[in-house]
Amino acid sequence: MNARLRDNWLLDGIARVGECGLFFVAVLGALPKSLRYWRELFRQVWFVGAMSLVIVMTCGLFVGMVLALQLYYTLSIFGGTAALGTVVALSLFRELGPVVTALLVAGRAGTAVTAEIGLMRATDQLDAMSMMAVDPLAYVASPRFLAGVIAMPLLACVFNAMGIFGGHLVGVSWLGLDNGTFWGNMTSTVDLHKDILAGLYKSIVFGGVVSLIAVFQGYTAPPTSEGVAYSTTRTVVFSSIVTLAFDFVMTAFLT
Amino acid sequence: MPATLPPAETLADAPAPLVEVRGLRTRIGNKMIFDGLDLEVARGSVTAIMGPSGTGKTTLLRHLTGQLQADAGSVRVDGEDVATLSRRALFSLRERIGFLFQNSALLTDFSVFENVAFPLRQHTRLPEELLRNIVLTKLQAVGLRGAAQLMPSELSGGMARRVALARAIVFDPMLILYDEPFVGLDPIALNQVLRLIRTLNHTLGITSILVAHELAAIRLVADRVFLIANGKLVAQGAPDELAHQDSPWTRQFFGGEADGPVPFHYPAPDYAVQLGFGGTAE
Repeated sequence: MNARLRDNWLLDGIARVGECGLFFVAVLGALPKSLRYWRELFRQVWFVGAMSLVIVMTCGLFVGMVLALQLYYTLSIFGGTAALGTVVALSLFRELGPVVTALLVAGRAGTAVTAEIGLMRATDQLDAMSMMAVDPLAYVASPRFLAGVIAMPLLACVFNAMGIFGGHLVGVSWLGLDNGTFWGNMTSTVDLHKDILAGLYKSIVFGGVVSLIAVFQGYTAPPTSEGVAYSTTRTVVFSSIVTLAFDFVMTAFLT
Repeated sequence: MPATLPPAETLADAPAPLVEVRGLRTRIGNKMIFDGLDLEVARGSVTAIMGPSGTGKTTLLRHLTGQLQADAGSVRVDGEDVATLSRRALFSLRERIGFLFQNSALLTDFSVFENVAFPLRQHTRLPEELLRNIVLTKLQAVGLRGAAQLMPSELSGGMARRVALARAIVFDPMLILYDEPFVGLDPIALNQVLRLIRTLNHTLGITSILVAHELAAIRLVADRVFLIANGKLVAQGAPDELAHQDSPWTRQFFGGEADGPVPFHYPAPDYAVQLGFGGTAE
């Protein structure tokens, strides 16, 4: 990178996107080799997935409850409260589930991955692996990337389930909507391919995007405490922006 | 095992140097690190590389392991030109080189035992019992068999360095590179590390290159010293011989003089001018 390029923030930004693209190719290239380290992959899926369950379940519950409350009010204006179950489920499956889960995972697991890899770089652990003839891309970067791709759709499913549970709690148990209407309308309207799978595809892509950004930021973090802190912040900022931008593009194509 | 070594005596007599650096030139950013550096390291020797801070001693170690590419010149290790090696060949060369990082670089997720076992687990399929024996042998050599189950965060600096050393020798390498092995050690730990370097060299015939500043320690352990300054080799010889050599570099470095060829003052504009006495201030 020459000095003049670094002075211009726009060119600098474009150069970073290019670097990230090349890094993505390198991570994909290291994927076959990284399957040898399946224990590490399991550990990372556990870390990104299982350890994020509490936050994802709690947030899913509250999002579903708020959603039901807000939609009940809106729908009652048009006398359409019977559609509450359908609207809650569609909002969750198609939009809120994948997006909010991605934002939560970026904040919880993404930052941890960036900080961990950044500190491994700062304490020469990545260099030490490379000196022991172990490719850090295959051992550190690829399993973490793959773990995000695997864990994100699973977490999104949990989020959706909790959201619908929350919606049911508010709609049926609290506001007194008929239980059969809530479920019946939902199951007859929600489509497996157009709604549930489309949302799942989104969250697979978001999983890739969020974990790629987290791993890339950690891998290229300046080896100082300030550098690692700054990279951790950038993981959240960039993951959020890219997730929402990809969401728009994917929604446009998937509907 | 990737490397099988003949006994130390024959290694010492072997004419071909293990490490050969010719006309090395490296520029990092705008700074010239090496400007035509030449040096040779004999097999089976303990060689110290000294020089003022920032002369690129660590950079030189990174050249030897192919972590960093030179702008010009060649670096040959065990007859192989490091710059031209494929990734696979480079990794196979690295399996024959132990590298002791200044901050030990132990993997923080693993216990001491697993840290030492890490290279074995990655590159071999040894039965667990054999692997355990190898690891315990190496830990015994550095005196830390009893610490096998501790985590890196529970170790003192000196212990961490000894664990890193056990990990570096787990494949019985032909060459160990020590980056500042004595920094931050108390006198006891320093002597332990010194003794280990000497023992590894004597008993296993491992060639050692160490980057260090501690004159007293180097006089005890090194066969040969290279003094690097301004990107070039400015003096070489046995430690005692060098300490008495009469060149401005050795006088300043071994005498610990504050000013000399390595100036006390960082390059700056004229003092009087900058203070506003005579001429125009910057």
